[in-house]
Amino acid sequence: MTTGKDAPTEPLLGAGVTPQTLTQEVSAMPGAFGRRRGWLFGFGIAFVLLMVLFGSVAWLFTRGIGVWGLNMPVAWGFAITNFVWWIGIGHAGTFISAVLLLLHQSWRTSINRFAEAMTLFAVACAGLFPLLHLGRPQFFYWLLPYPDTMGLWPQFRSPLVWDMFAVGTYATVSLLFWYLGLVPDLATMRDRAVTLGKRRLYGLMALGWRGDLRHWHHHERLYLIMAALATPLVVSVHSIVGMDFAVANLPGWHSTIFPPYFVAGAVFSGFAMVLTLVIPVRAACGLHHLITARHLDLMAKVMLATGWMVTYGYFTEFFTAWQSGDEFERYVAINRLTGPYALAGWGMLTCNVIVPQLVWFRRVRASPVALFAVSILVNLGMWLERYVIVITSLHRDFLPSSWGLFQATFWDWSTLLGSFGLFLSLLFVFLRLLPAISMAEMRNFVVKAETAAAKTKGHDE
Amino acid sequence: MQSADQHLRARLADEFPAGAHAWPPDLSRRHFLELMGASLALAGVAGCYRPPREDIVPYGDTPEALVPGNPLTYATAMPWHGFARGILVRAHEGRPIKIEGNPAHPDSLGATDAITQAAVLGLYDPDRSTTPVHQRVPVSWADFDAAWRNQRARFDTLGGDGFALLTEPTTSPTQLRLVHALLDHWPHARWYQAPTLLAHEVEADLSRADVILAIDDDILVQHPGSLRHARHFAARRRESPNRLYVAEPSPTVTGSMADRRLPATPAECRALLETIASQLEHETPSGGGFVAQVTRDLREAGPRGRCFVGAHLGPQAQKLADRINRLIGVTPPPTHRHPRSDNDPRATGDLTTLAADIDNQRVHTLVVLDRNIVYTEAGGRTWPDRIGRLASSIHLGAYHDETGQACQWHLPTSHFLESWNDLRSSDGTATIAQPASTPRLNTRAPLTLLDQLARGSGRSDYALVRETWDAPPDDWSEWLRRGTVPRAQDNVRPPAPPSLRRGAPPAPPLAGDALVAVFRPDRYLDDGRWANNGWLQELPDPFSRLAWGNAAWISSALARKHGLNAGDHVVLTCEDRTLEIPVWIQPGQAGSAVTLHFGYGRRAGGHIAQGVGVNVFPFQPPSGATECVIHDLRSTGRHTDLISTQGHFDMAQRDLVRVVPAAEADHPPTDALSPQERSTLFPAAFPEGEYAWAMAIDLRSCMGCQACVIACQAENNIPVVGAAQVARGREMHWIRIDRYYTGDETSPLMLHQPVPCMHCENAPCELVCPVGATVHSSEGLNDMVYNRCIGTRYCSNNCPYKVRRFNFLNFRVDDDSPLNERHNPRVTVRERGVMEKCTYCVQRINAARIVARREDRRIRENELRTACQQVCPTEAIVFGDKNDPASAVSRRRAHPLNYALLTELNTQPRTTYLARVTNRAPEDAPA
Repeated sequence: MTTGKDAPTEPLLGAGVTPQTLTQEVSAMPGAFGRRRGWLFGFGIAFVLLMVLFGSVAWLFTRGIGVWGLNMPVAWGFAITNFVWWIGIGHAGTFISAVLLLLHQSWRTSINRFAEAMTLFAVACAGLFPLLHLGRPQFFYWLLPYPDTMGLWPQFRSPLVWDMFAVGTYATVSLLFWYLGLVPDLATMRDRAVTLGKRRLYGLMALGWRGDLRHWHHHERLYLIMAALATPLVVSVHSIVGMDFAVANLPGWHSTIFPPYFVAGAVFSGFAMVLTLVIPVRAACGLHHLITARHLDLMAKVMLATGWMVTYGYFTEFFTAWQSGDEFERYVAINRLTGPYALAGWGMLTCNVIVPQLVWFRRVRASPVALFAVSILVNLGMWLERYVIVITSLHRDFLPSSWGLFQATFWDWSTLLGSFGLFLSLLFVFLRLLPAISMAEMRNFVVKAETAAAKTKGHDE
Repeated sequence: MQSADQHLRARLADEFPAGAHAWPPDLSRRHFLELMGASLALAGVAGCYRPPREDIVPYGDTPEALVPGNPLTYATAMPWHGFARGILVRAHEGRPIKIEGNPAHPDSLGATDAITQAAVLGLYDPDRSTTPVHQRVPVSWADFDAAWRNQRARFDTLGGDGFALLTEPTTSPTQLRLVHALLDHWPHARWYQAPTLLAHEVEADLSRADVILAIDDDILVQHPGSLRHARHFAARRRESPNRLYVAEPSPTVTGSMADRRLPATPAECRALLETIASQLEHETPSGGGFVAQVTRDLREAGPRGRCFVGAHLGPQAQKLADRINRLIGVTPPPTHRHPRSDNDPRATGDLTTLAADIDNQRVHTLVVLDRNIVYTEAGGRTWPDRIGRLASSIHLGAYHDETGQACQWHLPTSHFLESWNDLRSSDGTATIAQPASTPRLNTRAPLTLLDQLARGSGRSDYALVRETWDAPPDDWSEWLRRGTVPRAQDNVRPPAPPSLRRGAPPAPPLAGDALVAVFRPDRYLDDGRWANNGWLQELPDPFSRLAWGNAAWISSALARKHGLNAGDHVVLTCEDRTLEIPVWIQPGQAGSAVTLHFGYGRRAGGHIAQGVGVNVFPFQPPSGATECVIHDLRSTGRHTDLISTQGHFDMAQRDLVRVVPAAEADHPPTDALSPQERSTLFPAAFPEGEYAWAMAIDLRSCMGCQACVIACQAENNIPVVGAAQVARGREMHWIRIDRYYTGDETSPLMLHQPVPCMHCENAPCELVCPVGATVHSSEGLNDMVYNRCIGTRYCSNNCPYKVRRFNFLNFRVDDDSPLNERHNPRVTVRERGVMEKCTYCVQRINAARIVARREDRRIRENELRTACQQVCPTEAIVFGDKNDPASAVSRRRAHPLNYALLTELNTQPRTTYLARVTNRAPEDAPA
């Protein structure tokens, strides 16, 4: 328990939180959002962006993939960059809810629901892009091993097939894990609902939860099992996404460091995204006593640690390029920092290597505004990292005759912007309908914290 | 409102035939039902096939040799600057779809150039004129016939006074006969010939030349016998290295093959000739300079040397070349045996004389036979006005172009694949050019129209040609079958050979740093006559790699001096003429020469031609000289992003095009990772089949003419994507010719490397396709299954050679476009969102396989050739079965110069290269 003796001064819980007040407060939040101007305003913006996405996709399907800036050396562009970035975002959620659960990091309790929701929505955004980027998206299901009358199967040596399985599994497990954690809370919502409609809705989703001891017993067991299942996915999904690149023989992609380096990058960007989302929500809803300064502090530290792993990845890439003596690898490494996309390359290094070092300072960690700024820059840096990997490797590979440039079009940008619309719309709907903090787990945590406090008190006396 | 409504009703009534009104007021419900019932019952009847009134022959009684589904091939000839390019036309179900060279034709030897390959597209061009036009209003042929009958009657009384006919010089006996007949019929009529931009006329045999000096003379492309020259030159070079010296203002195909090339302005070229001639006569020069080496080598080679000079350098330069040839003992000196009508004694003159005669009102009726005199007018725009002053002007041509619009009458002519003609090659061999298709549109053959001028009603082109060639039917069929008329049977007198050499007078001597503008026809659009051909517009220049537009080529030194980057606009001034044009910085460009290409900036003549690039004709001196002094060059600050298909010309120290000095060509530095010697513990990637297809490309021979690119485009239904898409880097060519420059920037070695799909045995693309849309065949082909492709484009990312092409948008032609009929029915037309690439012409392999299986034998060598191989003038591309040790491809793969591109990636490509060999004189090797 990190809340034990070695814990620093800042607590993980504000003063005066009891199980009753907690349930009261959290279960009232969705209903309260309906009356908040801020929610309406936020959802309005998100909805407009969502419509931008629909418009962009409609145009894409009407005209074809050529509405984007892709060309012949650079056949992958924004879609793949966005895919890898969004899927990386999702990782923090699974990391927080599953890995930290198994490691008994109880500070995760107040943020895991939110982080898991973020995971799901990020995976939804991520999953969109590989489908959109197909030349013939209507045949996306040919990636699936379904019994086809022609006896055709996917080509299992292709990392894209592994990718489809990895992302599919990840999305499924994340959804189940999140829903499983929600069931007791849904029952609470059902019980506290004032209208028949809400009672019916939450009741349907609560799957007949009555708070029976056997329910709790099964629930806790299953939750642990799901956590154990989800944990390897944190590693596998982004490893396989990394292999999308590493399996190719393209200089700048063909690199064994990619799977672990991608996982570290994913958790790094994921924590940055959790901070980006939690800090405003915490401020807007006044949740300082549930999501405390110490939560932010801990998340910032994880971000710093994974940031160093990413830095090590960069170092290894450059070192390997030099040490291999391979002229193509060397050229790509140099080209990333001096070529036409040098701005992106240096931007990536600045945002991902230099900016996170600010987190070493306690004052930065203690300041939500500073952390928010850092997290935004890290998000940007990680997007640039994927952009650099995809674009700079492709645009100048083996034959100089075929070198070219990628220039993003309006539709590239609008689709990226639109994916934020999808993400934020889902997030706002989530806040409006479901408890954003796990009441069941938090009650447990509050009781434990009270007991621990009582014990300490007794010892002191 | 009321009147507008009435107007609309009137228009509707006009548009629909009687009876098609929506609802006649007197129609009762009962009557309506009756009519509807009848329509339904009769719809089936009307929808049935109904034969035309004339007698037609059912297909059950097939024309001889025609098997439905099998193509028929016809030997014929394409007019090229008035000369014959001997071709074979492949027609599927009556639709000519592909042109090949006629192996029996002396000026083809089985090869063609890019323009000839692309000519078939013009047959289906939706922009072709479909009907006569009078004062810009479409009319019928009957209207013209009636109008001409009146005019002709008047000329009959006047003896043709005031009548003028303008043609291109031609080798066609029938055309000449008809022109002469017209002049006989109307003794006072005048005939003018407007020469083309072809400036190279010297007949040459390169098969025995050891040392060749070409001064500004693109003998391998811009010559009626260029295909023969290229074939002989390359064969000779493969046998034992010859040595080619070239001096020229800007890179040409011939220049790129030079062992030593000197960038030189036209004035410098003339001076060079003087020096060489005088040195040959007097002294033995020493040193490593260009002149010294040329002189030594020519003297040593004696009669096995040759000097060529571009005709545009002027008669003085031609005389110097003759002198050089005589001095080294080339006997007899090259003579002009070209059977073209340039110097026909009955011709009144050229365009200048015509202009003067119109201005002096000696001519009041002008007939222009397929010459775009308005667009190609040098240094001005006087022709529209001049034509406007005529009492009557008639333009015969395939397009309603600038001249057609200026003339009162525009009469559409048939494509050369739709009409009869006869033409001679540069050595005089005649070909009866037969049509491969009936006229698709309401057009008339040019010969018929010529005949109609004097006789009132034109006889059929067939009758006219047949009348010229009085031959027994058996001989006639044999001539048609072979595509040539045997010399012994050729009793039609060719025109008198030109006795005087044309060409611009030499420019006045220039000050040391004076800039000179050099005018050249575009390699693919010529003087603009091919500008409406999408294939040729999209074919990048071999050196600048610019497509869909032109630019002023300048040297890097000049660019530095004026602080110019590629695409920056400059204004050139010469006397009172100015020209604004973007610049292109071209390696190998003479320091003070600015090269301008004709053919762009068309204002009419088809929606592809119009508005592409800059028209440089108005900047040309009115004399028609191909060079002029630039008095002022200044930057305007404006910029155009030029469309180039290759952005990097430096090999970045990578081992891509290997260059071996001739001395080491027999035992070049060995390739440690030669694919043949590699052993592996991995099982074979695919089961070995009966054949193992492979391609070997000889970089010693490839001269970068890009005929293969268009041949591939025609054979494989490769779409034209347009300027905007090429600018984005989405051109679709399955084979491209990569250009690299090495060495000195001012006079670099120019390397050509054709890159089709390598058909790697260990193909990276196949590994990463998630749906198995690209797979390996047992014969080593890397097959593309279009129907299975979902368009992830991962294969392209993983292809180190970047030979895959993607349908980013719907690049297919519209469903109702006649261009659909040009498609090769044996090759799938790809849809949006699928990947495509070179297939080694798998359709040809399978066609050959069907024949071989039926005859229970293996596919023979030479029975099967890919489109790129078949067209190649230099036989640089060889394709075949590498399992057969005797095959040409096996022999090339065993050659010491053979190497694989990027072999260190272990892709084990089936396409390999033979290193480029340079044969520079030893003196100028660094000591």
